[in-house]
Amino acid sequence: MNIIVAIKQVPDLDYIRIRDRRPIMEDVPQVIGDIDKSALAAAVDLKESAGGNVIIVSAGDENLEDTIKEGLAAGADEAVLVKDARLAGMESSVIGTVLAATISKIENGGLIIFGEGSADNYSGQVVSRVAQILGYPQVGYVNWIEIEERVAQATRSLENEEETVEIPLPAVMSVVSEIKEPKIPSVSSILKARNKPKRVYTLDDLGIEIPENRYVRTVINLAPVSQRKGILIKSVDELVKVFESEGIIRR
Amino acid sequence: MEFNLTKEQQMIQSAARDYAEKAIAPLIEDIVEKNEVPLEIIEGLKELDLFALPISDEYGGAGAGYASYVLAEEQLSRICPGVAVIVSVNNVGAAAMSIFGTEEQKKKYLPMVTKGDGVFSFAFTEPGTGSDPKQITATADRDGDFYVLNGTKRFITNSSYEGPMIVFAKDTETGHINGYIIDKFCEGYSISEPWKKMGVRGAPLYDVYLRDVKIPQDNILGEPGQGFWILKVAMALGKIGICSIFLGAMLAAYEEGLAYATAKTHRGAPIAKFQAIQMAIADMFMKYEAARWMAYRIGYLADNARDKGDILKDSAAAKIFITETAIDVARIALNIHGSYGLMEDYKISRVWKDVIFGPQVEGVSHLLKVLVAGEIFRDLKG
Amino acid sequence: MAGILVYSENSKNAHELLTAATIIGSALGLEVRALSINNDTQAEDLAERCGEVYRIKEDSLKLSDTSAMASILDQVVRKLNISVVLLSSNRRGKELAGRVAQILDSGCLTDVYGIEVRDDGNIDCFRNGLGGLTVVSQVIDTEKKVIAIVPKIFEAMGNKITGVIRDVEVDVRSSGVNVVRTKTKVRDAVDIETSDIIVAVGQGLANKDDLPQVEKLAQLLEGEVACTKPVATDRQWLSEERIIGLSGKKCKPNLAILLGISGQVQFTVGIRDAKTIIAVNTDENANVKHISDYMLVADIKDIIPELIEKIS
Ligand SMILES: Cc1cc2nc3c(=O)[nH]c(=O)nc-3n(C[C@H](O)[C@H](O)[C@H](O)COP(=O)(O)OP(=O)(O)OC[C@H]3O[C@@H](n4cnc5c(N)ncnc54)[C@H](O)[C@@H]3O)c2cc1C
Ligand SMILES: Cc1cc2nc3c(=O)[nH]c(=O)nc-3n(C[C@H](O)[C@H](O)[C@H](O)COP(=O)(O)OP(=O)(O)OC[C@H]3O[C@@H](n4cnc5c(N)ncnc54)[C@H](O)[C@@H]3O)c2cc1C
Repeated sequence: MNIIVAIKQVPDLDYIRIRDRRPIMEDVPQVIGDIDKSALAAAVDLKESAGGNVIIVSAGDENLEDTIKEGLAAGADEAVLVKDARLAGMESSVIGTVLAATISKIENGGLIIFGEGSADNYSGQVVSRVAQILGYPQVGYVNWIEIEERVAQATRSLENEEETVEIPLPAVMSVVSEIKEPKIPSVSSILKARNKPKRVYTLDDLGIEIPENRYVRTVINLAPVSQRKGILIKSVDELVKVFESEGIIRR
Repeated sequence: MEFNLTKEQQMIQSAARDYAEKAIAPLIEDIVEKNEVPLEIIEGLKELDLFALPISDEYGGAGAGYASYVLAEEQLSRICPGVAVIVSVNNVGAAAMSIFGTEEQKKKYLPMVTKGDGVFSFAFTEPGTGSDPKQITATADRDGDFYVLNGTKRFITNSSYEGPMIVFAKDTETGHINGYIIDKFCEGYSISEPWKKMGVRGAPLYDVYLRDVKIPQDNILGEPGQGFWILKVAMALGKIGICSIFLGAMLAAYEEGLAYATAKTHRGAPIAKFQAIQMAIADMFMKYEAARWMAYRIGYLADNARDKGDILKDSAAAKIFITETAIDVARIALNIHGSYGLMEDYKISRVWKDVIFGPQVEGVSHLLKVLVAGEIFRDLKG
Repeated sequence: MAGILVYSENSKNAHELLTAATIIGSALGLEVRALSINNDTQAEDLAERCGEVYRIKEDSLKLSDTSAMASILDQVVRKLNISVVLLSSNRRGKELAGRVAQILDSGCLTDVYGIEVRDDGNIDCFRNGLGGLTVVSQVIDTEKKVIAIVPKIFEAMGNKITGVIRDVEVDVRSSGVNVVRTKTKVRDAVDIETSDIIVAVGQGLANKDDLPQVEKLAQLLEGEVACTKPVATDRQWLSEERIIGLSGKKCKPNLAILLGISGQVQFTVGIRDAKTIIAVNTDENANVKHISDYMLVADIKDIIPELIEKIS
């Protein structure tokens, strides 16, 4: 049984500059988000008990093949990609359809793992959309997984409780970053990444048309105005004075 | 012309940066104080194949080439030049053996220093000479199927670790300088107390004493009489490591200077608003950029040179420029710090001590300039 | 008349959603309806706050089965002619939101922390963009809309009325997910979101033994201890209730003291509404300086005891 990990190519947030409150996206490198790396690390751990391969699915623009090398270097065995310029910044509803169609092309996919939310949009809805389209059961916010034959056990980490469920496979899961800390890839695994098998589809190959009207429209996307004083203080005494002037403590 | 890193190079750079920040940075104070890098760091680097990047994967290296090696060493040195020096010297030895060694030698020693428990040393400096190998006084006496080595080697990196060492000594019979391979801590091998060193802490230097160290005659590196050439090629490759190490230290200085300029305030505003400071920042940036591309290009040249000896002129020129520029940049960063730069609480004081000796190691600047000029004239004569 | 449906398994969240629903409902002329599943007390509580409460009693329906739950919501939405579904943006709510939206073929927004109904009838939803670097305002353009709202943003609706409770018949389609066991997380009753003063620690706190000092400091200042995510999830030194940020709480105290916190954007989104921010960090270049009013470059190990001494 193969384990499929859905990975999103996101802009490296550390490289986004803000100018006039607007994010400057030019020349920002594309990377794999941290939670997705944890999802992949968890999948690699499960590989043995599942007795199959770890396969990445991802949809994105031209940079995708390069970005996904990070996932292949981190232990995935192969990648199935949908590459189309129109997919850059595409909304969740379309990405859900595209990923579900891609996953359907993979044989013997038993468990499909997502990160709990993407590093940029963090909406967490693609996982549920994919599960619905495929008609698979799902469990979200998982911090522990065990696979036994055609069922899995997984622990959903909720606000107040941990809920361990049994879930028939194939199934869709989203994981929290605590599930597994991603390892730094070794240089040889980085170099081997490019030779791992890869299938690349276009939207046309999958017979998917992007709907003319968006489901969700973004009206504003601006950095919040921040007016901080930015004063450097040098001692605890000065700190205490700040407390006093802010009315936190009185002398 | 292409100035972008490949995705693989970016990933190798990030891997080294992540490892340096996560595993090395938390230990830096200890490393500096004890002048010692914990073994787990060396093991960690080996696990990630960062310890022998350019060495062929056939022998446990990463086979990633010198361009990637430069990127990784820069990142390691940005956090800790001592660690980067250990890696660099390991690669000098391993590269010399990769190029000149026999299959048996490579099979025996390379896996040890790429993946196993060993670290390579490379010993030419002596109390009487560093820049001029012709003055080497260590001796190799032929005794049947063996050589017997005697002498003292000075300032030898990695000599306290197990593993192979290439020792340059004079064959008493022929008068040739040759490279001989010994196993450290074999009979007759001993080291001094570590030198008390002000900078590049973590990579201690020892004097190595060889007293009747007996090695099989097969343990000569390359052909008898080839020693000078081996030394030249190894030093040319070694300079790639030196370039990257001082580039990384320069980056650290630049970052420190920039950080201080934006954090330190004067009458409520950061000092970065003063034009004098802005010029200093621009100077650091210009110098770092120039040095960076020179270093990256040397990595590229080494990967593409048919004969590694061909990069002699360029690697020497890069080494001079980068080590001297590192001092310039650290000096500017120090100036930005005002008197605080003198204080050990500020990282720049440490970086300063790290960069200051660059022009003196692996070929002092003015001797290298003579070498560069010599190569230029030779090219002129065609 | 079309309606707006409120559902959360968490009653308090449901009461807050009612407030949001009323704002949207009165602007758009939508009837507010609440749904309660397998929870009679909740249904009754809701009826004191909402005119029409729909109740489902089906033993075979499990909260843990998101697929079955989504199908139920879809059935209710169709039966009651609902155009806006309001869910809680807690973990169950977010998981449900995407699946319901997919069945309804509609747009969905989660982690919404602000709502404005515009004159043209669009509902502007405010949420974080680019991991918190930006604030985005988004509008769902499909006929039906699914919106998941962050808890504690809206006041809970008070109990002022007597509404009706109606039972609805639904068809449960289990997807075979069964709960094997549940374990209550060590509950931490702390409410950092309403605290006036927050003392937050990050990974710069090297030693767990130093935590009592931090608590002492918070006590002296009459504030609460909060933390960054790794302190709670990786090191497990403090409860997840105390996490500030994108996947934690959004706080707006008068004063926040950030100790050994680098100030990455996923953290700062949760604290940038504080009136005054003071940071203590050994790294003068740490990002936290960009969001601080005052920054002290120092080791918190030295600073905390000294500060305690000077203010006690
Ligand atoms: C951190 C570090 C690590 C090192 N690791 C190693 C190692 O692993 N193995 C190893 O073998 N060595 C190592 N060394 C030693 C180093 O390579 C030598 O110190 C260096 O080559 C210079 O040699 P020297 O100190 O003997 O100087 P010298 O050669 O004595 O030079 C001293 C001065 O005299 C000048 N000078 C010398 N000869 C001439 C000449 N012909 N014309 C004009 N001027 C001249 C030089 O320019 C210089 O200013 C290391 C040194 C350091 C600091
Ligand atoms: C999708 C997503 C969601 C996330 N959500 C959240 C969230 O909700 N909340 C959150 O906090 N994080 C969140 N994160 C994680 C976030 O990106 C950062 O990793 C985290 O905030 C860093 O925590 P930190 O500042 O404690 O640790 P670090 O980044 O490790 O910073 C530690 C700081 O302490 C300083 N320091 C070290 N020693 C000392 C000392 N002795 N004295 C003073 N200072 C010292 C260091 O200089 C450094 O600046 C999320 C990440 C992702 C990808």
